Amino acid sequence: MAKRTSSLKGTKHTKDTKGKSGHAVVYIIGDSPLVEEYARLCAGKGYAVTVHWNEPPKPTPKFDEDSIKIGKTIPSHASVGIELTIANKEHKQKNLVTLDKALAATAPLLCSSVTVTATEQATWVKGKHRLVGIGALPSFTKQSIVEIAPTVHTPKETVDVVLHFFQSLDKHVEIVQDRVGMVLPRILCQLVNEAAFVVQEDVASPQDVDTAMKLGTNYPKGPIEWGSAIGFQHVYAVLSAMENDLREDRYRISPLLKMLSQTGEWWKKH
Amino acid sequence: MFKHFGIVGAGTMGSGIAQAAALSGVDVILYDINDTVLRQALERVKQDFRKGVNRGKLTQEQTTEAFGRIHPRTKLSDLKHCELVVEAVIEDLMVKKDLFRHLETDTKPTTILATNTSSLSVTAIASVLRHPERAVGLHFFNPAHIMKLVEVIKGQQTSPEVVQQTVDFAKQIGKTPVVAKDTPGFIVNRVARPFYGEALRLLGENVATVEQIDRIVKDGAGFPMGPFELMDLIGIDINFAVTQSMYEQYFGEPRYRPHPIQKRMVEAGQIGRKSGQGFYKYEETK
Repeated sequence: MAKRTSSLKGTKHTKDTKGKSGHAVVYIIGDSPLVEEYARLCAGKGYAVTVHWNEPPKPTPKFDEDSIKIGKTIPSHASVGIELTIANKEHKQKNLVTLDKALAATAPLLCSSVTVTATEQATWVKGKHRLVGIGALPSFTKQSIVEIAPTVHTPKETVDVVLHFFQSLDKHVEIVQDRVGMVLPRILCQLVNEAAFVVQEDVASPQDVDTAMKLGTNYPKGPIEWGSAIGFQHVYAVLSAMENDLREDRYRISPLLKMLSQTGEWWKKH
Repeated sequence: MFKHFGIVGAGTMGSGIAQAAALSGVDVILYDINDTVLRQALERVKQDFRKGVNRGKLTQEQTTEAFGRIHPRTKLSDLKHCELVVEAVIEDLMVKKDLFRHLETDTKPTTILATNTSSLSVTAIASVLRHPERAVGLHFFNPAHIMKLVEVIKGQQTSPEVVQQTVDFAKQIGKTPVVAKDTPGFIVNRVARPFYGEALRLLGENVATVEQIDRIVKDGAGFPMGPFELMDLIGIDINFAVTQSMYEQYFGEPRYRPHPIQKRMVEAGQIGRKSGQGFYKYEETK
């Protein structure tokens, strides 16, 4: 893998934006599986990556890539900071404040905005201009597209840097409005919720729901399988945020989904 | 093992089901009141078989044998030896009830009476029978000779034995059965509702455009079609009618509430591919 030696186009850092190895540096923080997924994605495209989890997953991922380091210290010369907490708002806020203080003023801050809008997250930091929301859910990082949502404060220059960054990761970018759930998370999580209602009401088994949706409508995965891949706790977090934000009864969460978010698929454990 | 299978209604669905069953070695009595419809159905089957042979998916021998297993009939009493009869007539509760009433007298007491309904209550259709325990839903998907899935629907009074035998029959004809309780939309039509409903809400709230939503859903999660492309293909009028029916059958459950965007498009006659204009424009079909 060729190392990515240039800093991001458009960033005007006062310090060198490359690490000692000469790679452009990305700092990733959060408490979801996205931290590992994004670390591998960025390292695979030549970035030097430092990752930190608020609560390290068990077992903690082992990275074979030399270009991924685990560490709390934020390199001040990082080109991009990425905050990937989905459910814990307190962690998210703490992470963003820390990143905002440590990074150069022009470095963009990408924040997962599926449960809190990027605009709301911008109210937590001084560098409001640098925030751009991303519609990231675990298990979809390998897909070819990413949806981003600039805040009302984000200037075109920052958006251009972010576009360039995702281009360097071979991603097509769709710029959407900054709303809780964005596009794909909102649709997918509602599919999982409906499937959970069907299982809860004993209309059909989880296996039959997945089989039906894959064979009857050509879905690439069944909704229960998706819930499991994303993590039911993350689906629950997105739906809770939508329910709070949109205040509509249509976003009422299946009690079974809530249980799944707490226990996982208990029927598979027996 | 089922040897004799009856189908009532030789439309697109009925002929597709006949094709699948005949290919799996079951003798099919294909009934329709209209002789012309029957002839057209046989022609459709013949053409599909020819396509299958040309594509190398079927042999000439297979299709000749299978075609010989489909027996067109215009008398309902010809279904009397069938072990299972499925109706695939118009989606009208009164028509289906009336048909079931006749089928109960024209078939053996052990014959399973199945309905291919996608939107009506199996329990309501079975309510006219003296023995509603012999009625079951057997919901095929279009095109029935290609789509592997069938939903086996347990009516309120369907016996567990009938459900099991229907599952066995579906497997015998090469389908993958899933079992569902008799509730509006069963599995597929119900679980799929948010795919369209949330997409319409996202559009209505101006979160993203039609094209963006379709791209994000396809390239972001691997769906073969985006929600708007799919609504255009299905027909926005059909999709709207299904959503409206679900909403009514669930007595106003907000998750199934239709969206005004869809209603306006139906009012404008912009109902998808078939009208040349839906969420996208289809010049060639105009």
